[in-house]
Amino acid sequence: MKKMTGFMALTLAASLVAGLAIASASSIKIGVIYPLTGGAAAEGRELRAGAELAAEIANSANAAMAMSMGKNAGIKSLGGAKIELIFKDHEGNPTQGADLAKKLILDDKVVGLLGCYHSAVTKTVSAVAEQYGIPMINDSSTSPDLTKRGFKWFWRTTPHDGTFTRDLFEFMKGLTQGKAKGVKAVPKEDIKDLASACEKTEWGSHVSQLIEVYGKEYGFNVKKSILYAAKSADLSSEVGSLKAVKPDVMLFASYASDAILMMKTLKAQKAQPKILWGQNAGFEAPEFRTCLGDDVAGILTRTVFSPKIAEVKKVAGQVNDLYKKKYNRDLSGASARAFTGVQAWVEVLEKAGSSKPADIQKAANTINIPGDQLIVPWVGIKFATSGDDLGQNILGSGMIGQYQKGKDGQIVLEIAYPFDVATANLIYPFKGF
Amino acid sequence: MGEGRVGCSPIFNDSNSILMEILLSALVSGLMLGLVLAIMALGLTIIWGVMDMVNFAHGEFLMIGMYAGLLTAQVTGADPLFGLPVAAVLGFLLGVLCYYGLAKYLLRGPMVAQLLGTFGLMLFLRNLALLIMGSEDRALHEGLLVGKSLEIGWGIIIPATKLAAAVFGIMAFGAIWLLMNKTRVGQALTATSLNAEGARYMGIQTEKMNALAWGLGGATATLSGALLVNFWSVNPFVGLLFTMIAFTVVALGGFGSVPGAFFAGLVVGVIMELPGIWDFFTYTFHWSWMEKVPMTSFKYTFVYLAYFLIMVFRPRGLFGWKQ
Repeated sequence: MKKMTGFMALTLAASLVAGLAIASASSIKIGVIYPLTGGAAAEGRELRAGAELAAEIANSANAAMAMSMGKNAGIKSLGGAKIELIFKDHEGNPTQGADLAKKLILDDKVVGLLGCYHSAVTKTVSAVAEQYGIPMINDSSTSPDLTKRGFKWFWRTTPHDGTFTRDLFEFMKGLTQGKAKGVKAVPKEDIKDLASACEKTEWGSHVSQLIEVYGKEYGFNVKKSILYAAKSADLSSEVGSLKAVKPDVMLFASYASDAILMMKTLKAQKAQPKILWGQNAGFEAPEFRTCLGDDVAGILTRTVFSPKIAEVKKVAGQVNDLYKKKYNRDLSGASARAFTGVQAWVEVLEKAGSSKPADIQKAANTINIPGDQLIVPWVGIKFATSGDDLGQNILGSGMIGQYQKGKDGQIVLEIAYPFDVATANLIYPFKGF
Repeated sequence: MGEGRVGCSPIFNDSNSILMEILLSALVSGLMLGLVLAIMALGLTIIWGVMDMVNFAHGEFLMIGMYAGLLTAQVTGADPLFGLPVAAVLGFLLGVLCYYGLAKYLLRGPMVAQLLGTFGLMLFLRNLALLIMGSEDRALHEGLLVGKSLEIGWGIIIPATKLAAAVFGIMAFGAIWLLMNKTRVGQALTATSLNAEGARYMGIQTEKMNALAWGLGGATATLSGALLVNFWSVNPFVGLLFTMIAFTVVALGGFGSVPGAFFAGLVVGVIMELPGIWDFFTYTFHWSWMEKVPMTSFKYTFVYLAYFLIMVFRPRGLFGWKQ
């Protein structure tokens, strides 16, 4: 009998504690849909790490943090409610993404969505969010079409490929005008002939079109644009096709595994363009560096983050240190943008002071996060509420980085563009593999 | 094609040698790739031929071979080529283990049990690799073959790894062909594959023959994996990329036919280089409509189209002999 009473008391105490815990830790659930396995698993891992760190910073108070999100524990206007991220894996599959979005909305009752990296998946997931009237912030998909659909529940923090591709041509124009750090003006004839190879899903095929459009606008000659399957066992015929037109500049839009295979095949085929540029994604994945080693020196990639930003931005340095401590590597373009996506969610919720979709919508449409709060080098976050780019952050901007071998033998991503923040002399022409 | 016509080409205005370069490079690189595909398909065709069993986990064997080669080189610091015997032994043991632990039981069930069983094995091995190695790509930086290629003239450049894989492929095919056709073990294997029950009456230990087929199948897969890792990077999902094509090669060549897999590999390799051959015709005849055809996007379409046509018009494959 005594035993029985003791057991009951224990149960009672346990349920009380549990009850208390539930009462105090009211949380705001955000459904996060990323490619955690499959072809882009590497980028998925980066994205998840960035998002997790942002949630951690938002949920704990740290007076030393140079961003307002870090100073409070949880969302102040919601009584200190904590951010709870529910991660789901879409494996790069648009249909699966849409199914997961429905599950998150109907079963998990999430307040909003974040994701999904692949533009093709973001497209279907945002359509589900729009249908149910659930807000979605897109942190990392760059197909310009996504914000051209007039959606009322969709906001995108990252600049899109239109901006990024224009940056590339501005960079090349600057190169011919002698604006690049440490390089004399290059005659336009030297870099006039371009060839591009882009993976053939929504994202890559759009980049390919953008390259043709801007190429014409800036007076370059796009001699060849090919589309290829990212899940490819072999890319030698693609490289053969590129080499056949003898381009001065080779441009790519690739995910990780295919970017590595493409560079290895270019090396094997002794290709030597004067400029080799990648549209982020695979070109920025950590294994692009680990798998290719010193061969990456001289390759350019558009990016939104480089640890070098820490030199000019205090908050970026602080967050990068925390990230490095936790994951043993620097922030990348993917993790920095996922971080910024969660941060945008926190700021929007803080402003809304409510978890009702309509209040969140209103807050998102009026929010203005200043650039000094962000780890990425943007002027800030402010979403377009009219025009043909609805929901797009109009204060974002891109960068072009170049892999260079430092004095310590380590490969770093130096900032090459914008020219006024360049951190090292540009390596031009590309020295070959 | 006369000099004059080439002279008005929008892209090439000096000589037509570059056109020959494009064509020859495409053909040579197609044949090289074909031999690589052939050795990947070899293990599949052995198991298929002897046991009428489709091994969906074949690509995972290849992936394990790639990791075996990579880790041997990284741990011992020796040249990656020393990983080859390690991978072969590992693959043989793994194959035999899979037979006694799984395939043996699957044989008692219907065809669908075999399909689902090896499919399960594929998922298990892939996720095991994911658990142990993580999802990121890994690659070798140093080695006799790594990052090297040979220039043999006429603009033809052959990556050292593909050349080694090609030479090894020819040898492996020769050895397996000799084993199957000139030895008693091979005759027993063939007998088992033609009529297992009859073979048992003749005193052939069919169980051992099946295990041997799995061992040989596993060993050739891991061996080619260890060779390929000199060029390709490896991640737990890499197997699927190769097996999809390996299946086509086997079906094209004829189920269970060793020479069939060899020639079908070459055919598929050249089909995959069609974009290069297309370029040659485009620049030779200056047909601008040809330039607009996105050949590389449809590279695999042609491979599977060939597979489809063979299935429709000659279901037993080019060299198939089993009914």
